[in-house]
Amino acid sequence: MSSADIEIKKLKKVYYKDKMEIPVLAGLDLSISAGEFVALMGPSGSGKSTLLHLIGGLDTATAGSVRVGESLLETMSEAQLTSWRSRHVGFIFQMYHLVPVLTAAQNVELPLLLFKMKSSERKERVKTALTIVGLGDRMDHRPNQLSGGQEQRVAIARAIVTDPDVILADEPTGDLDAKTSEEILNLLNLLNEEFGKTILMVTHDPKAAAHAKKTVHLEKGQLEREEFSNRQPMAAAR
Amino acid sequence: MALPLSYNWRNLFVRKLSTSLTFSVVSIIVAVLSILLSFAAGINDSLRSTGNPANIIVLRTGATAESTSLIKPDEANRVLQAPGIAQDDKGRTLASQELCAQTTLPRKDGRGIANVCVRGVDEIAFTIHKEVRLIEGRLFNVGQMEVIVGKAAQERYKHLALGEIVPMGRSGDRAYKVVGVFEADGSAVESEIWGPRTSIMDSFRRTFLSSVIVQVKDAGLAREAIDYLQGPAVRLKAKSETEYYEDLTSKTREIVVLTSVLITLMGIGAVFAVANTMYAAVDSRRREIAMLRTIGFVRRSIITAFVLESLLICMSACVCGLIIAALVSSMISKQDFLSDTTWTVLAYDLKMTPWTIGTALALAAAVGVIGGLAPAVRASRTKVIEALRKA
Repeated sequence: MSSADIEIKKLKKVYYKDKMEIPVLAGLDLSISAGEFVALMGPSGSGKSTLLHLIGGLDTATAGSVRVGESLLETMSEAQLTSWRSRHVGFIFQMYHLVPVLTAAQNVELPLLLFKMKSSERKERVKTALTIVGLGDRMDHRPNQLSGGQEQRVAIARAIVTDPDVILADEPTGDLDAKTSEEILNLLNLLNEEFGKTILMVTHDPKAAAHAKKTVHLEKGQLEREEFSNRQPMAAAR
Repeated sequence: MALPLSYNWRNLFVRKLSTSLTFSVVSIIVAVLSILLSFAAGINDSLRSTGNPANIIVLRTGATAESTSLIKPDEANRVLQAPGIAQDDKGRTLASQELCAQTTLPRKDGRGIANVCVRGVDEIAFTIHKEVRLIEGRLFNVGQMEVIVGKAAQERYKHLALGEIVPMGRSGDRAYKVVGVFEADGSAVESEIWGPRTSIMDSFRRTFLSSVIVQVKDAGLAREAIDYLQGPAVRLKAKSETEYYEDLTSKTREIVVLTSVLITLMGIGAVFAVANTMYAAVDSRRREIAMLRTIGFVRRSIITAFVLESLLICMSACVCGLIIAALVSSMISKQDFLSDTTWTVLAYDLKMTPWTIGTALALAAAVGVIGGLAPAVRASRTKVIEALRKA
C-alpha cells in the first residue's frame, strides 16, 4: 500500500475573465503528511476545489509549487501530468461520475486499462476493490441499478483500484443523505487507517470534516487555520 | 490504452433515436451504392469485352449501331478486298456477313413482350466468333428454317425450348425450329437468336446486311485494314472488336460516374448526419469525458473512442446496407438492358462483386471517420475542470 506526503509552497492561482484578474489562491503554504486524512473547508470561492485540482494535476498553478511525494507538479507537461494522475491519484467526485453503460466492475476496471496488466490480474484487483467497499455482490450491476450510496462506493473502488498514493475527494457526501454519508465517510476512514492512504477531502459539512484527522480552513485563498480532530481511530472505536 | 469496445457499443444504444436515424441514412446510401454498382457490374459483365483485336466490325458510315447500319451486298464484297484479311485452313476468307433483325417474343415472367435480336450468319461466323459454343442440340442447317438460341434468351423468352417452333419474319409468319442452344462466355450475344443468313434475310425481306466482321492475320494489321475500309475504296465505318466493345461499355462507365456523383452527394449528407449524432453524444457525455481525462486517459484515447463509436455506427449500417442490396439483387434475377447497338434487349444479372463490397465498406469507413473526427477532437478538448464543476 502506497502513500505520499504533500508539500505546498507559496501557491498562487489567478483566473482571468474578460481581462480581469480573479485571484483564487494567494500564496498558500500547506503541508500534509503521508497517511493523513485532511478535510478542506471554507466558504464558496475560498479556493478549496482549486487547491484540490492543483494537487491532482488537473490544473497548473500561476506561481508557487506543489510536491506530491517525489513529484514536482509544476515541472510536468500536460501529458506527464495525465500519466502521473493515473498512477498516483484516486479521485472521488460529488456526483460519482460513473459511466452509465458500464457495470460496476467495468467502471472500476477503467483506470487499470491504462496499465499493462493481464486481464486476470485486472479482474482480481477489481474484485478486491469492490469487496473493500462492500459491493462484492454488485459487480455486474449498472449504475442505474444501484443506490446513490452504492454508486459512490463504486466510485471509491475506482479511486483505489490502482493503489494510488493520494485520494482526492471533492464533496464525496454532498449528494447523499446523512446515513449514507456516514457510511461513505467511515469507508474513507477505513482507507486511511487500514490502508494508510493520504486523503484530502473538500467538504462544507462539519460532520463530514469531523471524520478527518485535520481540518484546514481556507479564506480568500489563504490558510486561515488548521484544526486537529480528537476522533478515535475506527479500530479503537470498535 | 483504449477504452473497451463494449463502452462504445453500449453507448450507441443510449441515444437510440439519433443513432438509428444515422444508421438508416448510412444503410440506405450503402444499399443504393451497392445496387447501382451491381447494376453497372451486371451490364459490364454482359457486355464485357470478348473482342479480338484482330477482328474488325464494319458498319455503314454514320451508323452508331447495327440497327441503323445498312450494307449493300456489293459494299460487303468490297470489304473482302481489305488488306491483311486472314483465311482459315480450308482457304475461306475470314469475313462474316451478318444481318441483325428484330423479332418480338413474350417474356416467360409474363411482363409483356421484348425485342430480341435475330442474327443471320453464315457458317464462317462460328470461326470468327470463337466464344460462341453449342451446349445443346445441333447447329442449324443452311437454307433451313432452323435457329439456335442463346442461353440467356432461352431462359427469359417463350417458344425458345429445344424443338419448339418460334414464329419470326417480317410478318411473323415464318416458323423456325429451335435446334440448338449456345453460350458465349456470358456476353451480350447470349441474348440473341442465330439462324442461317439467307433464310433470315428472306424471312425479314431484307436485301442488305447490318455488318461485316473480318479477321486480319495479325492484330498489327488491323489499323491498315481499318484505314482501307474507311477510305475512298469502300467508305464504310470500321472498328476493331475491342474498340467496339469498349464503346459499348462506356454506358456502364456513365452509370459509375453518375453513381459516384450521387453517392458523393449522399455521402456528404451522411457525414453531417454522423457528425450531428456524434456532437450530441459528446455534449451529453462531457462529465464522463472529464472523468476519463481525470483518471488518466489521454486525448488520443478519447479521440479513438469517439471515432470508433462513429465507425461502429457506420460499419454496422454498411453491413445492413449490403444485406439489403444483396436481397434486392437476388429478388431481381435477370434484368433487361435495352441495347442501343441493336435496339434489342440484353439480359443481365445484378452482380455484387468484391469491388462493390469493398467500395461500400470504404465509403462507410470514410463517412464514419470524417463524420466522427471533429466531434472526437472536440471531446478530447473538453475542459476537465469546467465539465466536472457543471455536474
